Amino acid sequence: MKPTLESLRSCLDGAIPAVVATCAQDGTPNVAYASQVHYVDAGHVALSYQFFSKTRENVLAHPYAQVQVVEPGSFRHFRLKLHYQRTETEGPLFEYMKAQLAGIAAQTRMDKVFMLRGADIYRVLDIESVDPHIPPAPLPSDALLGLRRALDLLGDAADLSDLADRALAALTPGFGIRHALLLMLDEAGDALYALGSLGYPDSGIGAEVKVGEGLIGVAARERIPIRINYRTGDYTYQAAMRATHATEPRIPLPLLANPHSRIAVPLIHGGRIIGVLYAESEHDAFFSHADEDALVVYARHLAVLVAQAACESDDAEPAHIEPAARPSGAPLAVRYFAADHSVFVDNDYLIKGVAGSILWTLLNEHAANGRRDFCNRELRHDPRLPLPDVGDNLETRLILLQRRLAERCPAIALEKTGRGRFRLSVERPLQLST
Amino acid sequence: MSVQLTVEQAAFLQGPVSINVGASGRDGWPRVCRAQGCVVARDRRSVTLLLSARRGRDLLDALDAGSGIAAVFSRPSTHATLQLKAAHAARVTLNAVLRADNGRYAQAFADELMGLGFGAEPGQNLIAVMTSSDLAALRFTPDIVFDQTPGPTAGRVLAAA
Repeated sequence: MKPTLESLRSCLDGAIPAVVATCAQDGTPNVAYASQVHYVDAGHVALSYQFFSKTRENVLAHPYAQVQVVEPGSFRHFRLKLHYQRTETEGPLFEYMKAQLAGIAAQTRMDKVFMLRGADIYRVLDIESVDPHIPPAPLPSDALLGLRRALDLLGDAADLSDLADRALAALTPGFGIRHALLLMLDEAGDALYALGSLGYPDSGIGAEVKVGEGLIGVAARERIPIRINYRTGDYTYQAAMRATHATEPRIPLPLLANPHSRIAVPLIHGGRIIGVLYAESEHDAFFSHADEDALVVYARHLAVLVAQAACESDDAEPAHIEPAARPSGAPLAVRYFAADHSVFVDNDYLIKGVAGSILWTLLNEHAANGRRDFCNRELRHDPRLPLPDVGDNLETRLILLQRRLAERCPAIALEKTGRGRFRLSVERPLQLST
Repeated sequence: MSVQLTVEQAAFLQGPVSINVGASGRDGWPRVCRAQGCVVARDRRSVTLLLSARRGRDLLDALDAGSGIAAVFSRPSTHATLQLKAAHAARVTLNAVLRADNGRYAQAFADELMGLGFGAEPGQNLIAVMTSSDLAALRFTPDIVFDQTPGPTAGRVLAAA
């Protein structure tokens, strides 16, 4: 029985280089190494086009190739009979291959040499098993079982905050992942912010990544999963670019200094991207094709749950509780900058954007009349807050704010008191200034 | 006059390199097969490659039909790569030297890969794939030698007849 292309995906991970044979129009053969043979679908592969080579000259004149791929572990060889179709120079496939090539290039210490100019798409006409008598490589861990385990652990989350925590915690027993970030897309759709993390000394909650920048940003812009199986020195494929302006207040991303394997998977629901799940490992080739499949399903499931949690009705009125007694002690100096809604506490940056303006509004209400109970509905209608009319993610902003306060400024806390209701507690006097 | 390989090139071709051979089939489709050893003639003007007759059936058929030959040699640890081409290749009778070379080559290549972090078991599997009882030997005199090490000089002609 002929092997299927799907069954050869482990041969296409770049562990053992593939070779491609072509012929010139006069029949002169040529053999070259292919940096990347990328699985496109059950009937197509794509080869990376990095510079104009004899291979490329040949296939443009005589569009036939034979590619030999090798299964890592078993060293079984397979030959693919290919017919060149077209070249893509932009779009999701191109971006995926570009990112992955950066990983392969770094692994082979060829960072400066490898630059993707195009993704050459070939139709696979035939697959020949060269070594049918050699037993296949042992199967990698069962990604489907891992997915099932992770989904079981996700369970019935009480609210969005609980869901974010469970979604990250389930990655370790599910997929063996020890370092991960969950990022949500902001209101304007041009940046993502970290809502939770797994396995880092600093949580990085509130750290931002621009859409289109770094591995996470490209995965969000193209709405595709991107998996890099080897360490890359290419700064554009670090998980995210560092802040563009040194004086711009920012929360650093907590990522590994030297990850060998990385994957970014978008959270897509109803045709809309709502966030990115990012994971990394200190080991080479940590994420298989099957892991990518499983994490895509996991992220889709998570996206549905996040969307559901964000849609839950929050028409509650704030509870009417007597104002809190005025706290004593040294005052907290809270400064607000309206330009970017950033908030500094005792000169330390705390948060900015929508979450910053929410905090500033709550603190002013509290300072004016001692009020401490609030509800989501009133925030939605508050003209002081830069929330969009539709599709806002107020709830995720409140979770972000709550977590950031807990980490950086425990004297101010937000506590959920019911669906769509929360309480502000302030343990020190406030000194508000703009 | 045929190309004479340099001493360094001859040593490289007979070292722990990945060897792949291409030809143009009778139907015009390209054919490729991994070779399992290489012996350079004392005068460095001809090269003999070893292949499994079964694994390389289509390639050998293409060469029997008069196809030109391309052979690419690449060292995994350095990515140094050479490609040799010739207008034709001829089958030659296998002798004890060539048979012995197959075993030596497979072990050296497996050692090279194990040095790169491939485990011992994959190394044994590689030796199993790369040693055959159905060896065929192909001899050709290179017409042209290319540097094919990835980088700005890839494709540079190093020697031509």
